[in-house]
Amino acid sequence: MRCAGAAPLLGSRPGELDPTDEALLRAHLSTCPACEARQADLLALSGLVQEGLLAEASLRDLSGLADGVMARIPASAWRGAPAGPLGRLLSFLRHHRVLATASALAPALAALALYLYIGRTAGPGPAGLAIEVTSEDLAAIVLETSDGPVILVGEGSDGT
Amino acid sequence: MAPSDIELVDRARNGEPEAFRDLVVRHQRRVYAVALGIVKDRDLAWDVAQETFVRVHQHLAEFRDEAAFGTWLRRITARIAIDVLRKERPSRRNDVADVPESVLREAAPGVLATALGTDPQETVLRRELSGRITEALGQLPETHRAILVLREMDGLSYEELAERLSIPKGTVMSRLFHARKKMQLLLAGYAGIDAPAGGGAP
Repeated sequence: MRCAGAAPLLGSRPGELDPTDEALLRAHLSTCPACEARQADLLALSGLVQEGLLAEASLRDLSGLADGVMARIPASAWRGAPAGPLGRLLSFLRHHRVLATASALAPALAALALYLYIGRTAGPGPAGLAIEVTSEDLAAIVLETSDGPVILVGEGSDGT
Repeated sequence: MAPSDIELVDRARNGEPEAFRDLVVRHQRRVYAVALGIVKDRDLAWDVAQETFVRVHQHLAEFRDEAAFGTWLRRITARIAIDVLRKERPSRRNDVADVPESVLREAAPGVLATALGTDPQETVLRRELSGRITEALGQLPETHRAILVLREMDGLSYEELAERLSIPKGTVMSRLFHARKKMQLLLAGYAGIDAPAGGGAP
C-alpha cells in the first residue's frame, strides 16, 4: 500500500475498515513514518472541531431562540394533544408497547389456550358410548353424546 | 432533579408547551453549533436551529423513546443544514475520490501532533485553535465542512455518512481526509507552526 492509498484510511475508528484494509493500513503504518505522523496529527486534532463550535455557540446569546420556536408553533398544535388522565394513559401505552399489546391479546390468548386444552383432554368424545339399562319389561338406552346424555326408552324384551 | 429528555418529550406530546420550551433551551446550544459548523453563517445557523426545533415538534409523535433524543435532534439539524446549503448554492459540488500525492506533500506531517501533543487535554495552543475553528471551517468547501461536522459533532460512522450524504463510502473517507488535511493546514497557519509552502487556505 502506498501513502496515497493509506491516507483516506487514516482517522478510521476500530472496526470501520474491512479486515483487508485494516491489515494493509497497519502494515503500511509500521513502515511509513510520514503516515504515522499524519495519523498523530489527526489524533491531536480529535475533538477540536466540537470544542470550537460549542465555544462559538456559547458566545452567542441564544435566549431568544426558544421564543422564536414557540412563536412558530401554532396554539392548535398544543390543543390537539390529549391532556390529563387520558393523555397519561396514552403516554403509558406508548412507552410500554409490548405490555399494551400483551394486555390487548390476553383474552384472545386465554380463549385459545382453553380451546386447545379442552380439545386435547376431551378426545373424540363419548358420543359412541352407549349404556343399556333394562328393568322388567322396560329397556332404556342411554347414549352419551357431546350434547349430553340422551335416554332412549324402547320396548321391553318381550316386545311390549 | 431535572426531568430527563424523555420525560420532557412525553409531556410535550401531551400538550405542555413549557416542556417543549425546556427541551429547546436544553439543546439549543448544540443544535446551533452543528448548524453553524455546516452553514458557517451565524444568522443562517440561527434559522436552521429554529427550523430544526419546529420540525422536531411536528414529528414528536414519531420519536421512538429507545433512541437518544439529542442524537435524533442533531440528525435533523444536519439534514436541514445540508438542505439549506444545497438550496443556497446547488451548483457548488466538490466530490473527491482519491488523494493525490501532491496533497500529501503540502505540509510536514506531525507538526500539529508535536505542538499539541497527542493527549487532547486543554492547552493554551489548543484553546487558541479552538477559537479559530469556525473561521477555519468557513474556509472549507461546504461538502468538506458538512462531512467533518457530522463526523466530529455527531460521531457518524463511514456507513452512516455515506447514507446521509448519498455518496459512496470511499468518497466519504477521501472527503474526510481532505477536510481534515485542510483544517490542519489552516490551523497550523493560524498557530504559526511550520506554515507549509502551498498550503494555507484552499
